[in-house]
Amino acid sequence: MFPDIIRNLIENNILGMNNRNAEYIMKYNPRSFFPLVDNKVLTKSLAKEYGVPTPTLYHVVLHHGGIAELKTLLKDHSEFVAKPARGSGGSGIVLVTNHTEETYITQSGKKILWEDFSYHISSILSGIYSLEGLEDYAIIESLIHPAPVFADVTYQGVPDIRIVVYKGVPVMSMVRLPTRASDGKANLHRGAIGAGISLKDGITLTAVHHSRLVDRHPDTGKPVRGITIPHWDKMLLIAARAKDMTGLGYIGVDLVIDKDRGPVLLELNARPGLAIQLANGSGLLGRLKMVEAATPDVFETPETRVAWAKEAFATRDVKKLPE
Amino acid sequence: MCTSDLSGGFAKVKRFITSLVILLFVFSAAIIAYRIVWLGYPAIPAAPGQTWHLSIDAHVKTDGKGINMSLGIPVDCPWRMFVEERIYSGTLNFNILSEGQNRFALWSGGQAAGAGMEESIFYHATIIMRPKRFYKAEFPDSKEYVFVAGDEEKIVARRLTGKWDNLPSPERIDAIAGTVTGKWGRPGPDKNDLEAWSVMEEKHGKAKALLMLYQSANIPARESEGLFLRETATDKLSKWVEVWDGKRWLNVWAETGNIYEDQTSFLSLVSAGVPAVRMINGEIGDIRWVLVKSVTDRWGLHAERTTRSKSFLDKWSLFRLPPEFQRTFRILLLVPIGALMISILRNVVGFPTFGIFMPVLMALSFRNTGLIYGLGIFFGVILLGYFVRSFLDKLRLLLVPRMSVMLTLVIGGFTILALIGNKFGLKEFMAVGLLPFVILTMTIERFFVLVEESGTLEAFRTACGSAAVAALTYMIISWEPLQLTFFVYPELLLAIVGIQILIGRYTGYRISEFIRFRALKGS
Repeated sequence: MFPDIIRNLIENNILGMNNRNAEYIMKYNPRSFFPLVDNKVLTKSLAKEYGVPTPTLYHVVLHHGGIAELKTLLKDHSEFVAKPARGSGGSGIVLVTNHTEETYITQSGKKILWEDFSYHISSILSGIYSLEGLEDYAIIESLIHPAPVFADVTYQGVPDIRIVVYKGVPVMSMVRLPTRASDGKANLHRGAIGAGISLKDGITLTAVHHSRLVDRHPDTGKPVRGITIPHWDKMLLIAARAKDMTGLGYIGVDLVIDKDRGPVLLELNARPGLAIQLANGSGLLGRLKMVEAATPDVFETPETRVAWAKEAFATRDVKKLPE
Repeated sequence: MCTSDLSGGFAKVKRFITSLVILLFVFSAAIIAYRIVWLGYPAIPAAPGQTWHLSIDAHVKTDGKGINMSLGIPVDCPWRMFVEERIYSGTLNFNILSEGQNRFALWSGGQAAGAGMEESIFYHATIIMRPKRFYKAEFPDSKEYVFVAGDEEKIVARRLTGKWDNLPSPERIDAIAGTVTGKWGRPGPDKNDLEAWSVMEEKHGKAKALLMLYQSANIPARESEGLFLRETATDKLSKWVEVWDGKRWLNVWAETGNIYEDQTSFLSLVSAGVPAVRMINGEIGDIRWVLVKSVTDRWGLHAERTTRSKSFLDKWSLFRLPPEFQRTFRILLLVPIGALMISILRNVVGFPTFGIFMPVLMALSFRNTGLIYGLGIFFGVILLGYFVRSFLDKLRLLLVPRMSVMLTLVIGGFTILALIGNKFGLKEFMAVGLLPFVILTMTIERFFVLVEESGTLEAFRTACGSAAVAALTYMIISWEPLQLTFFVYPELLLAIVGIQILIGRYTGYRISEFIRFRALKGS
C-alpha cells in the first residue's frame, strides 16, 4: 500500500515541502525582497505604482498612541477592515460592517465594544499576529463586497483566489471558500474548501475539504465545480505582474473579486503553500519544469506569459457533475 | 547569503557540498584512525573493558643480613596495559629492575634492624586486557633460554619427538602437547624411553619436562610463571610453557596439555625460567597473589590513559578538563546529535514540533526529572498553561507583559510542584526548577495560538510531536556508550555536521506528505 502512495506523488508531479524550500523559495526569492510581500503597507504602495488595484487604504496605525485618534478618524467610514500589516494566514483580521463610536458590528453580526476593538488594534501593534512576533502596524482599509459569483458556495467571509506564479508565469490557481467550520475564514487549515481553477478559462475544477475530495459545499450543499470566474484574464495579468512588482520568482498572489471594482489584490505570499496541488488534483512540479523549458520570448511581457500559461496548462477540462 | 550567487551555478554548489561533506567525513575518520592505530585507542571505547587488579602482598623477615627480595611483576605489552601501579615498601628500599623480557620489583634494606624484624610489602597493579588486539611479536631468540638438561635426557626426549619432525609446526605443537595426557601416537614409543620419561617428569616437574620435549623438536619454547587469568587468591604461582608457532606465542598448560591461543588467558609474571620469587637475604613469612576482576568505570580508564600520554591529541583531550567541566561536555557533545535527529524528524519524516530546538532543551531537562516525570510535567504545564492563557486573554494584556505574567505563573507552578515533591519525597518534582521555563512559557503561548488558528487537534498533534522528539533526543543523549564514544572521539562532530549538511540538501518528499497528498489518484 505504501509504495502506491509514493508512486502517486511521483506520478502526479507533487512538489514537496523540502523541494519547494530548497529549489524554489531559496533559489528564486531573495531574502531581502521579503518585506515587500510580508508588509502589506509596502505591497499596497508597490501595487499602486504598477496600477494594480488593492483595497483602499484609509489609515495606518503606527503605534499605541495612534489608537485614540482612530475613534474620530473612523467616523468617515461606516464599514472597514482592520488587519495587521505583517499578518499571515488571515489571522488578526476584523471586518466591520457598521459602527457607532462605541459599538462595532462585525461581518458575522457580532457586536463589539470600542474597548474590545482598541484592545485588538493594540494586540496587532504589539506583534501577536506578525510573522516574526515583532512590533507591527495596523491597517484600516476598505471592506470588500464580494462579487456574487461564489455566493452559493460561501459561508460568510470572503472567498479569495490564489494564483501561484513562477518566473512571472501563472502556473496554478485555486479559490478558497469559507465554511462554517473555518469560521468564515478563507484558510484551508481551518477547514475552508479549496477548489482548483482551470487556468485556461477560469472554471473551477476539483475541490478539497480537509484533504478529502468533495463536490459540494458542506454548508450550502451547492456544487463547487464548474463555476466560471469573471475577469479571469485580468486576474492572471495581475498575478503575472506581481513578479515585476516584487522581483520574487516564486510567489503566491491572493485576489478577491469586488462586486464594484472587480479583481483586487489582497496580498502576496513569498512562501505559498502546497495545498493548491490537492485542490487541483495535480502537482506543481511538472508545470514548474515546463516553465523552465519555455523559450525566452515567453517571458517578455506579462501578456505573453499569461498567453503561454493558458495554452500550456489547458490540459485539464471541467468534469461535468452528474445532476 | 545572496541567492543570486546560487542561481548561476547551482550544479557547482552541489559539487561543492558533496566534496565538503566527503572532506568532513574523511577528516573525522582520519583523526579516529590515527588515534586507534598510533595512539592505541580502543576502536569501540564503550566495549566492556577487561580490567583486573593484581595484588601481591607479602610479609618478610630479616635474617640478620637484612632483606633482599625480588618479585616478578607483569610487563606492559600489546595485549595488556597498566593504568596504575602502586607499591608499598615500608622501611625498605624499592627499585624496579628490567631484566631481559622480565621486570622485577626489588625490596632491600633492613640490615640495621637485625634479625627477626618483620615488614609488610605490597605491589598493586590495575591492568587492562585487550584480547582482540592484533600485535606483531618479534621472532624469539632461541638461545634466550635453554633449559639445561642432562645429555642422556636430551637423547630420550629427541627419540620421543623424532617421529613428528616432518609435521608442520602447529601440528607438531599439538602432538607434543598431547603427550601430557599420554597420547604418544603410533607407533608407540619404546617402553624404556617412556619409563625414563616418567622419571624426568617426576624430577623436573611437568612444565619443564614438556619444555624439554619442545626444545628437542626444535620449537622455540620457554617456561612462564604467573597466574591463570581468573579471580583467584593463591600463595603459589602456576607454571606453563609458551611455544612459538612461527607467528606468536601460544600457552600450553602443562597439567592438561590444553593449548591457549589467547594471550590473555594467562597473566605471566616472569618468563624464560627465571623464578618469580627470589629471596637473596631474608625470609618470606607469607605471600599471596590476588587477582580480582575490576569494575573500574570506563571513563576512568580513558582518563588514565590520556593523562599518561605525551601525544599532542592526548594533551588536548577533553579528559584533561577538570572533572566538573567534563560532565557538561559529555552532554554538550551529544546535543548536535539531538539537533540532527530533529532535522531528520522534521525534514524527512515531517513531525510537527513547537519551534526548532525546544525539544532539545526539553530533552536536556529530562536528565534531571527523568523521562516519565519530565513528560508528565511537560503536558501538565502545557495544559494548565493553556487554561491560564485563555483566562489572561480576557484581561487584554499586551504581548510582553502577558508573557511575563505567564513566566511568573510557570515559575510559581514549579515552586508549588517542588514543595509537593519535598512533602512526598519525590526528587523528580523538586528537579523541575531546571526545566527550561522560558521555553515552556513560549510553548504555552504557541500552543494557545495554534489552538486558536488551526484547532485543538493540530495543537495537540504538535505537542505530542514535540514530546516524542524530546523523548527520543533524551534517550540518545543519555545513552552512556554514545557519550563515551563522542568524548573519546570528539572529531565525530565533523561527521555529524556532514550528515546535517546532507539533510539540509534533502529535497525529496517528507514521509508525512505521502499521507497529506494521499487523496490524489494515479494519473
